[in-house]
Amino acid sequence: MLGEFEYLLLSAAARLGDGAYGAAIRRDIEAATKRRCSIGALYTTLDRLEAKGLIRSWMGNPTPQRGGRQKRMVRVTGNGVHEAKAFYDAVSRASHGVSWAADRARGPA
Amino acid sequence: MIHVGWWLLSFLARALDPPERDVVLGDLAESGAGFGLAMRDLLGLIVRRQVGLWTSWRPWLALFGVCGVAGLSLSSLVFRLNVDLYKYAAHYATSLTARQEVAFLLCLAGALLVWSWTCGFVLASLSGRAVWLTWSLFYFVVLDSAWARFVLAGNIILRSPRTHEAVLDSLQGTLRLLMFTTLPLSIAALLFLFPALFGAFVGVRWRILPVRHRYLIGSVNIALAVLATWATGWYDPAHLPAGWPRVPWPVRLLPFLLASWPAAYLLACSLPTGRPKDQTSALRPVPEP
Repeated sequence: MLGEFEYLLLSAAARLGDGAYGAAIRRDIEAATKRRCSIGALYTTLDRLEAKGLIRSWMGNPTPQRGGRQKRMVRVTGNGVHEAKAFYDAVSRASHGVSWAADRARGPA
Repeated sequence: MIHVGWWLLSFLARALDPPERDVVLGDLAESGAGFGLAMRDLLGLIVRRQVGLWTSWRPWLALFGVCGVAGLSLSSLVFRLNVDLYKYAAHYATSLTARQEVAFLLCLAGALLVWSWTCGFVLASLSGRAVWLTWSLFYFVVLDSAWARFVLAGNIILRSPRTHEAVLDSLQGTLRLLMFTTLPLSIAALLFLFPALFGAFVGVRWRILPVRHRYLIGSVNIALAVLATWATGWYDPAHLPAGWPRVPWPVRLLPFLLASWPAAYLLACSLPTGRPKDQTSALRPVPEP
């Protein structure tokens, strides 16, 4: 089963689609969690997910915004989608009937 | 971010593999983070990568095998060469001729040069990006462990030559001791330092030597171990008082074998294993799908 941060990373990469690369994923995670995401955590987790076959990464084209440096592009594989869905289902089942999940279903007060 | 800050970040990023270095510096430029945050991020990644290196057996072999076993033996050799160099010209007290003394010193110096290079190469080849740590430890082990053993055993007492007070009792003495333990201040230490540095440099760049070079290095290492064992067989008894027992050749050979075992590792690497080679890079660029 995925870890929490692995799930966040897979979700961000899937949401960004063709525009998924290190810095963009980091921004997306920070926006979603309202917490800082360190580069160390990001790249070591990307390596782990790639070793598990849940993502694929390759070197993208450099841009002037990055000082002419390359990007590490990321794509979620079929296995990655499957694992993320399994994690989401597990969290949904585990949250069934708990007060904060019910509050969430009714919407913010 | 100021220019000096970027220079510092780029310098620190050299601890990462080249593709990852490019990606991370690009991310930091794109994020527009201040120097402090960028530095924290970069250092965090470097620490994680360095820790990750130690999940493999290779840096551990470099640490215990080369720094520990070979380093301690080389340290004894450095110490011994320093003492023998100091004793040179005192050969009139023995049955040795000047030519024999020079031959012995050249034999030890040659062995030290070759074994230091081999150790440096194997250390860098095994350590990968952890080489800065393992090489630094190796340097201090070789430079300090032999005389530290004598000091701890009470055979050497550190006293200031002028005041005869304990070295650590004065600031000057402490500074001298610090200098003595960190800088290569003897000929033998320099004979170790330069080849070991050069070997590490080659090891970082090449990692694996061509088979012919490995056989050549292995042969030279073995020849020097045999030569040093033979030379100590006639040199040491000439300096001992009459009637003292001779040290048997296996006992004399053992420290030389321990100092030169990295050559055996190089030769063992030449044997076919039938397994694919390890990928050392954390980030392996692949073509775009």
